[in-house]
Amino acid sequence: MSVTTRNSLLDRVWEPFRQQPGSRRALLLMAPLMVFEFFVFIAPFLMLLRISLSKQVRGLPYEAGTFTFEAYSEVLSSEFFHGLITYSFKLGIIATLLTVVLATFYAYAIWRSEGLTRTMLLFSVVLPLLTTLVIKTYAWVPLLAPRGTVNELLMAIGVLQSPIQLVPNTTGVIVGQVYIVFPYATLAVYSVLSTLDWEIVEAARDLGASRPRSFFEVVLPQAMPGVAVATVVSFAWSVGAYAAPGLLGAGSDRTFAIEVETQMLVGFNWPVATALSAIMLVLMFVSVVILYTALNSVGGDVSHGA
Amino acid sequence: MSKIELENLSKSFGDLQAVDDVSVSIRDGELLCLLGPSGCGKSTTMRMISGLETPTSGRVSIGGEDVTDKSAYERTTSMVFQNWALFPYKSVLENVAFGLKMRGEGKQERREHAREMLTRVHMDGYEDHNPTELSGGQKQRVALARSLAVDPDVLLLDEPLSNLDKRLREEMEIELKEIHEEFEKTFVHVTHNQDEAFTLADRIGIMNEGNLVQVGEPSEVYHNPKNRFIEEFLGDTNFVSGEVSAVDGDGAVVETDFGATIEFPLAADEDLSQGTTVTVSLRPEFMSLDAASATDGGQKTAARADGNGSNTVVGTIDTVLYRGSTIRYFVETNGESMFVERSVTEEGELDEGDAVQVSWPAEEILVFRPDGTRVET
Amino acid sequence: MALERESVENALFKAGYGTIFAFMLVPLVIVIATSFSPSGNLDFPPAGFSLKWYSAFFDNIDWLRAFDNSLVIGAGTTVIATFLGTTAAFGLEARRDRWTQLLVPVVIMPLLIPPVILGVTLLVYFNEMGLRSSYVSIILAHTLWATPLVFFVMQSIFQRFDWELRDAGMDLGANPIRVFVHVVLPNVKSGIFVSALLAFIISLQEFVMALFLSSYGTRTIPVLAWTTLRQSLTPIVSVVSTFLILISLVGILLAALATNLDFIAKRL
Ligand SMILES: Nc1ncnc2c1ncn2[C@@H]1O[C@H](COP(=O)(O)OP(=O)(O)OP(=O)(O)O)[C@@H](O)[C@H]1O
Ligand SMILES: [Mg+2]
Repeated sequence: MSVTTRNSLLDRVWEPFRQQPGSRRALLLMAPLMVFEFFVFIAPFLMLLRISLSKQVRGLPYEAGTFTFEAYSEVLSSEFFHGLITYSFKLGIIATLLTVVLATFYAYAIWRSEGLTRTMLLFSVVLPLLTTLVIKTYAWVPLLAPRGTVNELLMAIGVLQSPIQLVPNTTGVIVGQVYIVFPYATLAVYSVLSTLDWEIVEAARDLGASRPRSFFEVVLPQAMPGVAVATVVSFAWSVGAYAAPGLLGAGSDRTFAIEVETQMLVGFNWPVATALSAIMLVLMFVSVVILYTALNSVGGDVSHGA
Repeated sequence: MSKIELENLSKSFGDLQAVDDVSVSIRDGELLCLLGPSGCGKSTTMRMISGLETPTSGRVSIGGEDVTDKSAYERTTSMVFQNWALFPYKSVLENVAFGLKMRGEGKQERREHAREMLTRVHMDGYEDHNPTELSGGQKQRVALARSLAVDPDVLLLDEPLSNLDKRLREEMEIELKEIHEEFEKTFVHVTHNQDEAFTLADRIGIMNEGNLVQVGEPSEVYHNPKNRFIEEFLGDTNFVSGEVSAVDGDGAVVETDFGATIEFPLAADEDLSQGTTVTVSLRPEFMSLDAASATDGGQKTAARADGNGSNTVVGTIDTVLYRGSTIRYFVETNGESMFVERSVTEEGELDEGDAVQVSWPAEEILVFRPDGTRVET
Repeated sequence: MALERESVENALFKAGYGTIFAFMLVPLVIVIATSFSPSGNLDFPPAGFSLKWYSAFFDNIDWLRAFDNSLVIGAGTTVIATFLGTTAAFGLEARRDRWTQLLVPVVIMPLLIPPVILGVTLLVYFNEMGLRSSYVSIILAHTLWATPLVFFVMQSIFQRFDWELRDAGMDLGANPIRVFVHVVLPNVKSGIFVSALLAFIISLQEFVMALFLSSYGTRTIPVLAWTTLRQSLTPIVSVVSTFLILISLVGILLAALATNLDFIAKRL
């Protein structure tokens, strides 16, 4: 295409925008995404709420046009669902704690390193991040199996006499889940750390802070926004864990997400599946807000405690 | 006692020799300025004194105690960073109190102490501000207060004034000098600005490519530079190259490339052989400029030694530059250009195109061998 | 002596991040190793070397079809997400106020909601719209995830761009679209390339939403891998995983060449 024909084409594209003032044009540019988010994100959630308020029927996903709180009361009153929800939150809390501590440490290591080491460390989180969830969980099967690499290794160095059960087991679920969210958490902390000036750590050490102390005194308070994001992401995904408990867990490692999937695709009980989803969303939202406020006020406390 | 001894201190980063066998003894209570071009190893030397960098070889001792194996937080030094390195999430007061907190001083005590320090640097009233809200000069003061608060034996300042504008820098120079006198501590101050070094320093150490080339009092370094690098680094001068044409008992003559002859006395034990190529430095502030005498024939350039041992060359003024309190004249002599500086108050107005006679006292001439070393005069 | 303690600290520090480094990469290496297994077991270290599971993969029509599905969906996602993310980031750069800023949290939100919930929600919705099991439904779902990444990469690219160049272009008489194509685009095309690449990889690797939205005919590689795994552990899944890991690896290398790894890492 020659420059002139391309330009005339561009001018034709421009024509409809021409009469619009500048800020309106900016809105027009944002419009496609806004429309998309409305129709593919917001509207579906409204639909979800509507269906969670429908009546359950045999043979069909739900009965259209009905309105009842049946599904909600079923979920809220059943011991079985309480167990699922508690398990999901426990898994979420343990996995998040482990992830955030390790990820903060690793992000700090990446920040401190330079050259090839830094590239390698970054690579070690970016590659798993861009690898499918299926592989990330599946990879632990040969590692953690009773005759798998980890057991063999521990037995060879004499830590264990006989293999221990790691998969399918809660241990396996936690390892797998930490592995899944770790890259995201690390990068969240790292992107905040990378805006900091290394000199402040030197200044702290020069003023008499030991290395661990200088980390807790000047690095951590500033990394807090990143740590908060890492916590929220790890928590939300771990509470909603599906793949790790599904593949690495025993029958008792049943999260709400697995139940939702079963109700949805196997049981064809859409009102219960959607009600459970909605309840979990609300519970998670509330806990995330509490977590986030708490974390930010911890950051604040540190900075006011001279 | 807080005298600092550096013995054969070296640091290399891979193949790069950042600091190369530096030995110096910094006296108690002295303000030493490390001066040198960018990348010559000043910061690295300072960081080895502070303990932030471990030397590849050599030793550091402070107050008679060998501290080479001590880390930064155990040394009695304190550093003021070029970018100040103030903790952004802490208030000004918390910044200043930080070192005291690390020492386990009580909350009340350290706050009080920090307040005092802030008053000392004229930053009282800013206790609760965030460092990011401060101007460069204010950040500078806070950083200084933070370092002084821990009552260090040695204060290390790494180009603390380089991010300030000229007026503020000059103000802070005076203030630093006052603080140095008041606190009676050993200061090591890094800069690549020679005015700053000459204003502040008790002694100046000049570094080049990892070496400490010369250490001495400002006037010593200024009048008696050890080699050509220092002469070139310290200020604007006219370098003239030529060949030694005659040497006798107490003097030598250089035939310059632009046709003039320069005569200068020679120290007794100096052996300079005839035919050596040398570089002569003619400092603009020692040269005098007069309207050429009519008998000299205007354009014809000649340099001759008159009876007083003062060397002279004739030329034409090419450009006149007004530089505040001084005027700089560029004089064209036989195709070469040299410049001379005069105070604005000096008698006799000179203009572009005027024929002039430039002369200089023989004892102010500095002569360097091809390898850069000084010829003693 | 303190320096001794520091070298111990240093050694511990290195051992710490070295362990995590291994923790991150060893599982992937093992997956690749088990794809060469000569038996039907996932043994590590492998008992021998064989390519038989690779030929099994290429003989299996189901896997090949899933591969095609993944490519179609990935391509669709790339086009839509890159378009949506880039235009919106460009628009936001031109106009920042309270209302347009509201777009940012809405765009991030899908990333913070557990994918299972998102999957359920979209299944219900697309079922109602009559789009159940279609390519379109999966493409739109993946776009929901890929768009935020494109958006943030492009936002920082546009922020770094020197807008005086645009003003200069306008000043020289070009209309804004011409300016965009002739002045802005050449400067941000590496950013667009990286965004598109990331969008493709995200779509290729996404699994939970695809699990809900696909059917036998539209299932993607990760979905088929998951369904296979639930029945039996076979090295053929390792073969598939090896391919997926390699694609990500090449993608990361390309993206790192176009910008740099640090830049990409901060925006994932
Ligand atoms: N951590 C490091 N790793 C590798 N090289 C370094 C490091 N620190 C300094 N260098 C190199 O050592 C040399 C001396 O650096 P140094 O910072 O001491 O110079 P300087 O005299 O302070 O310069 P400036 O005036 O620019 O601050 C430089 O070439 C620098 O690039
Ligand atoms: Mg320096």
